[in-house]
Amino acid sequence: MAEIGLRNLTKVYGQDVTAVDSIDLDVRDGEFMVLLGPSGCGKSTTLRMIAGLEAVTSGEIMIDGDVVNDVDPAERDLAVVFQNYALYPHMSVAGNLSFGLKLRKLPRDEIDRRIAATADMLGIGDLLKRRPRQLSGGQQQRVALGRALVRDPAAFLFDEPLSNLDAKLRAAMRTELIKLHRMLGKTIVHVTHDQVEAMTMGERICIMRDGRIVQVGPPLEVYRNPADTFVAGFLASPPMNLLDARLGGETGLDEVELPPVGLPLLARHKEALQGRAGGAITLGIRPEDLDVEPSAAQHAAMTVTVVAVEALGPEVILVGALPGGQEVSARLESDFAAPAGSEVQLHVDLERLHFFDTDTGRAVTAS
Amino acid sequence: MVAQLLPHAVLIAFSAAILLPLLWLLRVALTDKTTAYKIPPEWGQASIGNFVEIFTGYPFFNYFINSVTVAIGATVIALPLAAAIAYAFARYNTGGMSLRLVVLSSQMLPPVILVLPLFTLFLKAQLLNSLVGLIAAHLTISLPFLAWLLVAFFDRNIALVEEAARVDGATRLQTFLRITLPVAAPGILAAGLLSFILSWNEFLFALILSGPQTNTLPVGLSSFQTHRGVDISLLSAATICAILPVFVLLPFMRRYLIKGLSLGALK
Ligand SMILES: Nc1ncnc2c1ncn2[C@@H]1O[C@H](COP(=O)(O)OP(=O)(O)OP(=O)(O)O)[C@@H](O)[C@H]1O
Ligand SMILES: [Mg+2]
Repeated sequence: MAEIGLRNLTKVYGQDVTAVDSIDLDVRDGEFMVLLGPSGCGKSTTLRMIAGLEAVTSGEIMIDGDVVNDVDPAERDLAVVFQNYALYPHMSVAGNLSFGLKLRKLPRDEIDRRIAATADMLGIGDLLKRRPRQLSGGQQQRVALGRALVRDPAAFLFDEPLSNLDAKLRAAMRTELIKLHRMLGKTIVHVTHDQVEAMTMGERICIMRDGRIVQVGPPLEVYRNPADTFVAGFLASPPMNLLDARLGGETGLDEVELPPVGLPLLARHKEALQGRAGGAITLGIRPEDLDVEPSAAQHAAMTVTVVAVEALGPEVILVGALPGGQEVSARLESDFAAPAGSEVQLHVDLERLHFFDTDTGRAVTAS
Repeated sequence: MVAQLLPHAVLIAFSAAILLPLLWLLRVALTDKTTAYKIPPEWGQASIGNFVEIFTGYPFFNYFINSVTVAIGATVIALPLAAAIAYAFARYNTGGMSLRLVVLSSQMLPPVILVLPLFTLFLKAQLLNSLVGLIAAHLTISLPFLAWLLVAFFDRNIALVEEAARVDGATRLQTFLRITLPVAAPGILAAGLLSFILSWNEFLFALILSGPQTNTLPVGLSSFQTHRGVDISLLSAATICAILPVFVLLPFMRRYLIKGLSLGALK
């Protein structure tokens, strides 16, 4: 059992590569925390500092309230599953699983019992005598996971363990990891740049960008209330439509203008946008909040010219152009069809509009 | 037809060019002294008389033992030290690039520059004409060479596996002994064989620093060139005995070097 706390944690490589920039994060005991962000944003570096594999430049790492900056990785009682698995190539699968247990001088029968239990749980019982290079990628991944599980550590650190698997296996392993977490109740920090993984697996997700934390929260909350345009654009596929717009109407705060249409503002939004009358604003609309039929209680319509229609099977993504030239994506029922160049009316759910400051990209909310 | 024969013809020609001297050596070693010099060559009666003579009439067996002792001694000492140096270079970047270059530059000096200072040092330390001294002298060649070679084997792939061992609970030393060394073993073995061969063939240091009791094979071979001329058939027989161990080791070295360089650890 472990709580992991990061305080002002910073990592500078060499003189000037700041990989992690003064981040604060609290991972609760037993929590499944996902670190999400684009390539190079410092996720791995953060994880490696927690594991003790990378020296901390400044700030603190705490495990259960104790500062562990100078604690040897061997003594932190954490288990890491690496992206490339890093199995011991000269040992059998059983040898890989038992290595950490032997170092801890566990009795032979206890080691055997644990290996059997872990192998059973992961379905690798038949592979115990094989060497890592005699295993498929998916099997290696299981062994790497087994090597972490068998030690029964205080917490698990996963660095993109699913990224080398094919789509089907990845989906299966996602479910399995969620089950494992439920069963073991251990703290897990899971690094990924895959937003589906983050949304489905994390109890909370921590979104990073350029070495900083942008937003932390439960997946749905982050999804519903992205803190800025980066999160809004990153978290789903297709991402939220971000449109350059202007506040207008008689008071300058009646509607959001997307020429030639003006979408009326709800009282809630007016309150949040207080003081911005007539100003530029970035309007965010999720593709699923656009529909060809007026399904929402409060809605407004706009006309787009069809650019492309991508059939995904269960749904269709319509890419359309607004009269001003800006493109929007809409997620529609699978029976939707329209030729390119034709005009389509899209209805916007006014409850679900998002507003971001055009200069800073930060979400505009009533405080 | 031609397209198929031509490559073979070329390969046969090259193989012959490479193998002919060796085959010739074998022929000369098996003929007696008088036929050896006949031109055009005569085949005569093959006999192993020359081989018998070098072991009975000359201290050839002694040379052989000296060479084995020095080559094994130098390798056994150089290998763990070089592995440790290479590990420090590869993992901790000890001394930075400059120290690595210093180590490499010691390899660029012609050995003859080292041999005179060594002679003076050994004279003071009374190491001249001793196998221990010769082993020490050979270390000046093999240690930097092996250290340089081994850096390549402690690569990023092994580093990743080492990290896994560290979080698994192994200390740095345990990691080095139980992960790094076994995983890099093919490379280390290849380096060891190379060091053995280097020592085995070394001539200059052995000539100047050893004495009659401690002559190694290369020096011994040169003693077949006497003031009465070269006894070519005895020299050939001795040369064959001298290169035999290298021949036996070569296939292993090739195997380990390839294995070491490709490692297959994480593939
Ligand atoms: N050993 C290193 N030396 C110098 N810079 C490094 C080193 N390791 C990482 N960096 C830099 O630090 C930044 C963060 O790297 P990090 O590996 O943490 O990214 P990441 O979020 O894990 O990306 P990815 O999703 O591609 O794995 C990058 O800009 C990277 O170039
Ligand atoms: Mg990474």
